Amino acid sequence: MRRILHDLKSNPLAIAGFAVLFLWIFLALAGPSLMNFTYTEMDTQNQIAPPGTGGHLLGTDALGRDLLARIVTGSRSILTVALFTSFFSTAAGIIIGFSAGYFGGLVDKIFLRILDVLMSIPALVLAMVILGVLGDSTIMSLTLMISIAYIPATARVARGTLLTHKGREYVDAARIMGENNFSIMFRQILPNTLGPIIVEATARFAYSIMMVASLGFLGVGLQPPTPDWGMMVIENKQIISVAPWSVLYPALAIASLVIAISLISDFFSKVLIHES
Amino acid sequence: MNHNIILDVQGLSVNYQTYYGTVSALRDVTFKLKEKQSLGIIGESGSGKSTLAFSIMNYLASNGSTDGNILYQGENILEKSEREMVGLRGNKIAMVYQNPYSSLNPSLTIGKQLDEVTIFHRNLSKKDARKESVAILKDLYLGDAEGLVKRFPHQISGGMQQRICIAMALLCRPDLMILDEPTTALDVTTEAVILDLINDLKKRYQMSMIYISHDMGVVNKVSDNIAVMYRGEVVEYGDKKSMFHKPEHPYTRALINCIPRSGIVKEEYRLNTIPGYVRKRSIDEGGCPFLDRCGKRVENCESRYGLREIAEDHFTACDRAFAKDVADDSLIPKKVDVIEKTEDGEALNIVNLYKTFNSRGKKVRAVDGLNFSLKKNNVLGIVGESGCGKSTLGYTVTGLLKPSKGKIYFDGTDISMTWKRRSPEVLKEIQLIFQNPGRSLNPSFTIEQIIGRPMKRLLGIKSKTERRERIIEILKQVDLGKEYLKRKATQLSGGEMQRVAVARAFVLSPGLIVCDEPTSALDVSVQSSVLNLLTDLQQRSGASYIFISHDLNVVNYISDYIMVMYLGRIVEFGKRDEVTSPPYHPYTEALLSAVPDVDPALTKGAVRLEGAPPNPTKKIKGCPFAGRCHKKIGEICENVTPEPVGFGEIHSIACHLYSAD
Repeated sequence: MRRILHDLKSNPLAIAGFAVLFLWIFLALAGPSLMNFTYTEMDTQNQIAPPGTGGHLLGTDALGRDLLARIVTGSRSILTVALFTSFFSTAAGIIIGFSAGYFGGLVDKIFLRILDVLMSIPALVLAMVILGVLGDSTIMSLTLMISIAYIPATARVARGTLLTHKGREYVDAARIMGENNFSIMFRQILPNTLGPIIVEATARFAYSIMMVASLGFLGVGLQPPTPDWGMMVIENKQIISVAPWSVLYPALAIASLVIAISLISDFFSKVLIHES
Repeated sequence: MNHNIILDVQGLSVNYQTYYGTVSALRDVTFKLKEKQSLGIIGESGSGKSTLAFSIMNYLASNGSTDGNILYQGENILEKSEREMVGLRGNKIAMVYQNPYSSLNPSLTIGKQLDEVTIFHRNLSKKDARKESVAILKDLYLGDAEGLVKRFPHQISGGMQQRICIAMALLCRPDLMILDEPTTALDVTTEAVILDLINDLKKRYQMSMIYISHDMGVVNKVSDNIAVMYRGEVVEYGDKKSMFHKPEHPYTRALINCIPRSGIVKEEYRLNTIPGYVRKRSIDEGGCPFLDRCGKRVENCESRYGLREIAEDHFTACDRAFAKDVADDSLIPKKVDVIEKTEDGEALNIVNLYKTFNSRGKKVRAVDGLNFSLKKNNVLGIVGESGCGKSTLGYTVTGLLKPSKGKIYFDGTDISMTWKRRSPEVLKEIQLIFQNPGRSLNPSFTIEQIIGRPMKRLLGIKSKTERRERIIEILKQVDLGKEYLKRKATQLSGGEMQRVAVARAFVLSPGLIVCDEPTSALDVSVQSSVLNLLTDLQQRSGASYIFISHDLNVVNYISDYIMVMYLGRIVEFGKRDEVTSPPYHPYTEALLSAVPDVDPALTKGAVRLEGAPPNPTKKIKGCPFAGRCHKKIGEICENVTPEPVGFGEIHSIACHLYSAD
């Protein structure tokens, strides 16, 4: 842990990444109560107002809703979905990937083929189809859906790291000292594979944000009046020529969060994988 | 002879900036190397041997900084630009590395890799370069050079690969060749052949050589002068004869005396050890580098002494070297009490054991029909080159592998199955100590967890306090203190880790322990203390060992019985002294003569094994060793499998030499 902090000091990009992420987390937690406007409030005096006018720091959209308030409120849902998605897909990926890799043989083959089938369908298409059938998206259904779409990737990473450790002598030693398969997998091997798994989990966090935004953009994400960054981009597309800021700011929000997390993920992969 | 100085290292210091602070890797290293002279550098790992080699190549890691001069033919290498170095490296100064497999590019043919050198350094055309490459291979006595250049590195044996690396280094006729542990990754038999080759090349090519090794015996074979390094300093330097016959620095003496040599056996001697381990040296640490491990230290050792000449061409960095008040006990090993053996019943009985692996549809016979038994309270040493099936045998006995055919009995119980089907009582009785302790201890567990888990699983000790008490007790037996309980394996040195592994095996009070090369990943000084520990614990507990090693001296020291394996079969089996003295199996004879000795006055019979063991996927009709045997009788060796011939009670040799009449 102390070494991670030490390495962080000499990595300004990672510091920037953490700073942006913490800023968004702070805004999501405390932001809405600090705003002058609520996210549904329509300021009829200031429709399509440029940034700075009438107390609207980032301007307003066609209905006169404050962009800043909508972006800050939108961060709540997107962060929640992304956090739970990366958690669930990683947890499920570990269980599936570890079982497949550990038992090997036929079990491994069957798991791999199922994962191949899932992977061959683009995650976005898969999510759209299922969300279309389920009807209006909620935070729950979005989380579930994206988690399932990401399990093949996390399972493969988990399986790969398990395989590098399965051949180590400490696993052999555990076997002839009476450990059962469950405790070899999760007690002996899992702690040693956390590095690559954490890196994958942070990468999934970034991908989930893009996925939520994409689904919102395509209209199958969270439904109004919940503000959604992807949806804001598409809603304001009609007024892009008169009010470019209305598209720019939600897009920037998406980009800043994704880039920040990618930087963090890079940092983790440097400290946790390459130097161990 | 012309005695020009080719390399003059003056006050060389190298420091590395790391997270833990500035580490001093080399400190004030000074020596001269004359033309056509060879210098052997020895020391434990972490002594700075390789750092020295890389500084001479001006090829240090980016966090390293240097001070001092390295004059190569009068020019300072450290002041040369990268561009000037390119002209020197590989051209004038060549280097051969430890692991030939990773220094050759696996995706290029051998010919291509050799050609590159002359095309780059000597601007030869492709055709001429190939001619040169073939010529050099022939010069190194590699038969079928034309065929060899078309092959890829993975298609030839490790010994051949190392010869290719040496050929590559010689292509530009360098003046100075640096060899960094070139035979450490190879079998003893191959090592002997390579060392002979190096000696021969040195004469023919008239070059200077720096030979780095941790093995005194190897250095003895190839060098004129020897430098002993410890924690970045040269502590003793001198001509080979006076270094081995009159070592003066306590570290040199300790190093020489801790190696098990032929004739030193556990009943008569305890091996000498050097307490502690090589610590990293911080920049502001002064005094004698060996201070903390030295048995002869006095107060003024805390100030630095420096190299002084004590005899002609013999330098030592210790003023205790002349001290008359300390008894020179290090040269005389102490006697230990001989413990009477109670040999009642067999611990292990192996009947007609086979183990075959499937490799791309072909059958590899790793263990090919073994029959032997091991009495209780005895140590069976198994020797043989890599690939002879000794580890497979060990893994089959411990239950990691399932025998293909045949039976294994432990104390009368049939255990010819894997760990999955063995009962906890059987699992508890048979333990395995691995070669590499760093890989056999779980890196994320504390020592308490590592030793405690098997106690909980196999002995059923549920109470944590009871477990802890017994862990502390067993740690004490392996000379580790209470403070190790909460440490993790990654925080320990190699020797400490292997002690923990030994403690983990012994805490279950097993009846049989398979030791799979337990000391070959350790430094010699640590090796001797682990061997002492294993011997003590064995004699105290009455457990039996199967001790697998490629080092005949180590096996000779610890074993009561020795089994020599070749290609999955037993070629010789008997009591220790029966196997190490005539009559020999020709293979045993070759193994014995390949072991490098530390006495420069000793010259051994030169039986050299060429080539590698035959392909184990093919069914062999006659004697498996026939193709490499120096005492082959004739057709009978190739057509008839020799049956073991008995000499005395137990000793048996499977060779037609003895069955013919």
